[in-house]
Amino acid sequence: MSETAVEKQSFATYKKNNTIEEGDNVVMYLSKENMSIIRVKDGEYFNCKFGNYKHSDMIGLEYGTKLGSNTGRGFLFLLYPTPELWTLVLPHRTQILYIADISFVMNYLNLKPGMSMIESGTGSGSFSHSIARTLAPHGHLYSFEYHQERVNAAKKEFEEHGLSDLVTLRCRDVCKDGFDLENKVDAVFLDLPAPWEAVASAKKAFKQNKVGKICTFSPCIEQISRTVTALTEQGFVDIQMYECLIRFNEIRVIPMWTIDEAMEKQRAVEKKRKRAAPRVVRDDNNNNTQDEESSSGHINKSIKVEPSVDDSNLSSAAATPSSTTESEMEDSVSTTVSTPVIGSETTASASEAEPRERIEPKNVVVTRLPAEQRGHTSYLMFATFTPATQGPSLTETKAAAAAASSSSAPAK
Amino acid sequence: MAALNPTDIINAGEHVFIKMPSDNVKCIVLKAGSSVSLGKFGTFKANDIIGHAWGNSYEIYDRDSKTRVYHPEGISEVEETANNNREIVDDPTSQKLTLDDIKALKSEGLKGELTGEEIVNKLKESHTTFDKKTAYSQAKYLQKKGKKFHKVFTPIKPTAYSVNEYFYVKNPSKIRDIRMDTLSQLLSYSNVHSGCKLLVVDDTQGMIVSALAERMGGKGTILGLYDGDNPHYDIVKYMNFNQETLDTIKVLSWLRIHRPADEKTPDEMQDVTQLTGKDLEGYHRRLKAYNIVEESRKVLFEGNFDALIVASQYQPESILEKLLPYVAGSRPVIVYHGTKEALLETSTWMRKCPDLLAPQLTESWLRKSQVLPGRTHPEMSTWGTGGSLLTATKVIDQPVQAALTKRERLAMEKKNAEAKKLKRAREEAESATSSPAPVTAAAAVGDVADEAVEGVEEGTTAATMTDGDHESRSIKRAKQE
Repeated sequence: MSETAVEKQSFATYKKNNTIEEGDNVVMYLSKENMSIIRVKDGEYFNCKFGNYKHSDMIGLEYGTKLGSNTGRGFLFLLYPTPELWTLVLPHRTQILYIADISFVMNYLNLKPGMSMIESGTGSGSFSHSIARTLAPHGHLYSFEYHQERVNAAKKEFEEHGLSDLVTLRCRDVCKDGFDLENKVDAVFLDLPAPWEAVASAKKAFKQNKVGKICTFSPCIEQISRTVTALTEQGFVDIQMYECLIRFNEIRVIPMWTIDEAMEKQRAVEKKRKRAAPRVVRDDNNNNTQDEESSSGHINKSIKVEPSVDDSNLSSAAATPSSTTESEMEDSVSTTVSTPVIGSETTASASEAEPRERIEPKNVVVTRLPAEQRGHTSYLMFATFTPATQGPSLTETKAAAAAASSSSAPAK
Repeated sequence: MAALNPTDIINAGEHVFIKMPSDNVKCIVLKAGSSVSLGKFGTFKANDIIGHAWGNSYEIYDRDSKTRVYHPEGISEVEETANNNREIVDDPTSQKLTLDDIKALKSEGLKGELTGEEIVNKLKESHTTFDKKTAYSQAKYLQKKGKKFHKVFTPIKPTAYSVNEYFYVKNPSKIRDIRMDTLSQLLSYSNVHSGCKLLVVDDTQGMIVSALAERMGGKGTILGLYDGDNPHYDIVKYMNFNQETLDTIKVLSWLRIHRPADEKTPDEMQDVTQLTGKDLEGYHRRLKAYNIVEESRKVLFEGNFDALIVASQYQPESILEKLLPYVAGSRPVIVYHGTKEALLETSTWMRKCPDLLAPQLTESWLRKSQVLPGRTHPEMSTWGTGGSLLTATKVIDQPVQAALTKRERLAMEKKNAEAKKLKRAREEAESATSSPAPVTAAAAVGDVADEAVEGVEEGTTAATMTDGDHESRSIKRAKQE
C-alpha cells in the first residue's frame, strides 16, 4: 500500500467514503447483459464498443456515478462490486450458483455474522463471496476445492476482493481425504458430484454440542437418494428437499384499443382514401361528398367523436358530439394522458386535437415471462445435525447391538 | 468442545416453536418451572429443555410427563413386495379395534402407560388387510398413525427462516405473504451485512426488519419509518434478539420526519429546575422520547443509506420519491409487494426515474419434495404466491455529453428525416450539381446518438416510447394553458 489514505476495498462491506480510488474493483455497467469488472489503475483505459474511458477519470467519483466516454459516444455506470454483482460478472471456471439458490441456502442455513461454515467445492467462487459477506467480520468460511488451478485463481480473487481474512481455501479432495476439521463449523454446504462420500467427515466438522445445518446441492435425483441414505446413516435428522427458481418478468406498456377506437381509426383511414381518390369518382356522387367534406373539415379542426359510439365509459365531455368546444376537449385529453392508469375512465375520449387525427388508446402495463427460462438448477437437500447426532453411525450401532445380544429389534 | 453461546441453548423466557408429531408448530414463551401442554400429545416440563442445546427432539414417556432425548432410528428402505392394491377394498371393518378401543388406547397413552410406538403397533396388528398393502402403502400407514400417536416433540429455534415459515403457514396475511425464498432474495439484493445502514418501510409486521437485523448481528443501523401511533414490528419479539441487536433497530414516524413548527423540546415546555416528583418523572420520560425522535431524524438526514427497502401498503412511488435522496450511490432499492400487479406502475415509474438503474421485477418459485429412500417425489400440494420483488440500483445521474433524452433523440431523428427528404427533393430538382455534405454530417451525428442511447436504454419498446410521447405532449399542453 503506497498511499496510506486509501481505504482498502472489500466485497464484504462498503467503503465509508463510497469513492472510487486507485486499486478499487469497479463494475462497469453498460446494460443488464453487458457488465464487466475492472481494477482501477491510473493511466489505463477501459475500452468497449461505445467508447473508451480513462481510469483516472473515475478516481474520486462517487460509486454509482454515470460516466461519459471521452469520445462522447456513450456512457456507463460505475457500480460498487457486491457479491451479487460479482455473480454476474465473474469469469466462469465451473457452473456457478445464482441468486435464487444462493439466497435460499443462506436463509435456510441461518447464516449470519460470526458463524463458521464449510463450502465444497469452491468452483468459481460465486457462492463463496456471498457467504463471506454474510459471515463477516468475525465469522469464517472454510472452502475446499480439489482442482489446483481453480484454487489458485480463487485465492487470487479472494485477495483482490479483500476477503482473505474471511476465507481459508484449501486444495483437497474432501470425498477421499475428508475436511480435516473437527468441532469447528455451524453449517456445511456440499456442491460435489458425490456428496454422500463427504457426509461422514462433515459430521465431524460440526460443532458437536449445538445444532447445525447441512445442505447438499445436486442436479440429479439419483444423487439425492444416495445422499439421503448417507445422511440418515450418519444420524442427521429433519431431511428436507427444495427447489427454488426465480422468475424475471419483462415489463411492457401496451396500447389497448377498444373496438370503437379501432373502428374510428379505420374510418379515418377510409376517409383519407376517399379524399385521395380521383376527381371523376367524386363528381359522381357529388352530394354525399359535399356533406362529408363539410363535416370532416370540422372534425379535423376540433375532435372527432362519433355520437354513435356506444361506450358507457365515455366521460360526459367526450360523449358530447362535435359541438363541444375545443378547450373542454383539451381538458379531457390531458387527463387521459397524465393518468394512463388501468381502469381510467376517459379512454374513448382519447383522440387528438392535432391536425392529423389521432386516437390515443389506453395503455396497459403488462408482464410476461421470457419464452425460455431456467426450469431446474439443482435439488437443495437440507438436514440437521443435532447434539444427539454425534456418536457412532447407524451401522456401527447396529453392529454393536447385534454383538451384544439380539434383544432390541426395531419395529419395522 | 466449542464454547456455547447463549443463543445456542434454550433459555427461559424466550419464544420457542414446538414442532409436534402432527407437524403442526406451536409457539410458546418458555417459563421456568411451568408445564407445557401439547394437547393430545401430552405435557412436558419446561425445565427439562431449558439450558439444553437447540436441535434435539424429546419423547414424552412415563406417567408424570418425563422426557428423554429422542433420536430417530433412521429411515428404512422400502423393500419391494409382490403386493398390490388388487385385493384391497374400501372396508371400514378391516380395522378390528373399535373407536372406543382406540380412545382407550389413547387415554392410556396420555397417562404414559403406552408409548406411541406401542399404540401404532396395536393398530397395525388389528388391521386385517395390513399385510396385503404394498410396502409403500404400509410405510405411509405407519407414518400417518405415527403423526397421531407418537409423543415426540422438537423445540425449534426462532430464526428468520423458522419464524417466517411459521407465520407463512399460519397467517400469511400478517406478514403480507412474504415467503422464505422471497425474503431470502430480498436479503441478497439488499446486500445486508454487519455494519451497514438501512432505510426500511416495513408493513410486514417487522418480518423484514427481523431478518435484516439478524443478518447485521448487532452492528449497524436499521431506520424504520412507520405510520400510525406505533411501529408494528410484532415479529421482532419472536426472534429472541439480545439488546445489542435490538438497539440497531431505530424507528421514526412519517409524521415526525420534519419537526412540526409547534413542536417544543421538553426544556422549552417546562423548566426542569422547578419540577419535582411525578412532574420530573414525566419530564424525563418526555425527554427520552424526544431524544429518540431527534436521534432518528439525525440518522435519516445524514443520509448515505446502504439500501432502501420498501414493503408498504402505500403507493411505492410516493415513498421512493421522498426517500431516494437519502440513499448513497450504487446502492440497492427494493420494493416488496404481495401482488405483482401493484408493482407494475412503480416499475414504469422507476424506468423513467433518472436516479434508478435497471429495475427488475421478480417472483420466486419454491417446491418442496418428500425425500425417503425409494419414495422421493414433489409434495402433492405446494405454495401459491410468495410475493414479488422490484429491485433497482440508485445511481448518480449527471449530464453526459452523448446522453440524449428520448425526446432529443426523436427530435434528432425527425430532423434527419427532413434533411433526407430535402436532399432527395433537391436532387430531383437539380441534377448532380448540389453538394450533399451537410446532410451526411447530420446523419452521422444521428447515428452516434442512436448508438449511445442503445448502450443503456436497451429493452425500451415502441410502446413505452408512445408513453414518453404522451408525457411530452401533456407538458406542452400545460404550458400553453
